[in-house]
Amino acid sequence: MALRMWASSTANALKISCVSRPLISRCFSTVLDGLKYASSHEWVKHEGSVATVGITDHAQDHLGEVVFVDLPEPGGSVAQGSSFGAVESVKATSDVNSPISGEIVEVNTKLTEAPGLVNSSPYEEGWMIKIKPKNPSELDSLFGAKEYTKFCEEEDAAH
Amino acid sequence: MRILRSLEVWKLGIVNYLDALKLQEKLVVDRKSHKICDILLSLQHPPTYTVGKRRTDHNLLIPQSELERVGAELHYTQRGGDITFHGPHQAILYPIISLREIGLGARSYVEKLELTMIELAAKYGVKACPGQAGETGVWVEQRRKIGAIGVRISNGITSHGLAFNINPDLTYFGHIVPCGISDKEVTSLRRETGPVLPDEEIIQEQLVSCFARNFGYSSLIWKEGTPVFSDKDDIK
Repeated sequence: MALRMWASSTANALKISCVSRPLISRCFSTVLDGLKYASSHEWVKHEGSVATVGITDHAQDHLGEVVFVDLPEPGGSVAQGSSFGAVESVKATSDVNSPISGEIVEVNTKLTEAPGLVNSSPYEEGWMIKIKPKNPSELDSLFGAKEYTKFCEEEDAAH
Repeated sequence: MRILRSLEVWKLGIVNYLDALKLQEKLVVDRKSHKICDILLSLQHPPTYTVGKRRTDHNLLIPQSELERVGAELHYTQRGGDITFHGPHQAILYPIISLREIGLGARSYVEKLELTMIELAAKYGVKACPGQAGETGVWVEQRRKIGAIGVRISNGITSHGLAFNINPDLTYFGHIVPCGISDKEVTSLRRETGPVLPDEEIIQEQLVSCFARNFGYSSLIWKEGTPVFSDKDDIK
């Protein structure tokens, strides 16, 4: 019940503040239209020559309260599906993987002081890295919003 | 329809921390590439302090040069959580399992690890509970910590795990701020129960059974002995 209330208040906040249309899934995590998603629960927003990456609402909910975010320095490169950092929650360190390959051009330094932004604003203030994509066609191999929603439902039904 | 899942349990005895870490790293790679099924390592460590990914070594209260004198090692790890102590008579479980296959996230996984230890304590009449927010672990009367958790999840595969105090030497905890929490205590099953506990091996096996039940494994395959790494890095 608390999750449903939380999800709807997050959805309301998103409707007020951003242009992407939320697509509420039956599993009560918010999934945004216009983003692409990896099966390891990261999202990517491709805008021109830069792609922004973070973890999804489903991911942050399943992690619990994030107390630490470990991010790389800008300038390094990352490959699709490989880890670029980690988050810590409930005494668990979870790797975060990049949905696409490219050069890391910017890192969200706010997460050092305010790791909870990953929970409260996973698609906006909780963004993690910005990448200059090496191969934009990699985006075609990712889920769209509807497919990702279905994927989450199937994964959650497994237990 | 529920798929029948089996768990291989490796009973390893007392294992040096770095050897156990090396073994886990190999098993995580193999589990990720589906070469092996879910595995649970059941073991103990010689006296060892470990620090998590946040490197909170300021919670070690003695200089590192003193560690040899007290007979302990110190290791830096990639697991979550703060500083802790492992030693003989503390039951350790390191599950190397795929969370994605059972649809669990980090929070649910850790909750089930807590339940595993709570159920074991209950078998001996000890009423234990999960910690309050931010204090992951298993507590007696919210004041005395009897079980600790520190986990790593990489591509959905777990490593590290839980440590349950059967009867370790609790004075070692005096050299740290355990888990970074300064105003609480550490306890053990021995301290919380009457004078007679069964053989430790029995208690450790019960812990494994509680784990298997909580995680829905329908069969257990028990293996004993220490794995040996050959030149080609195969586990024997």
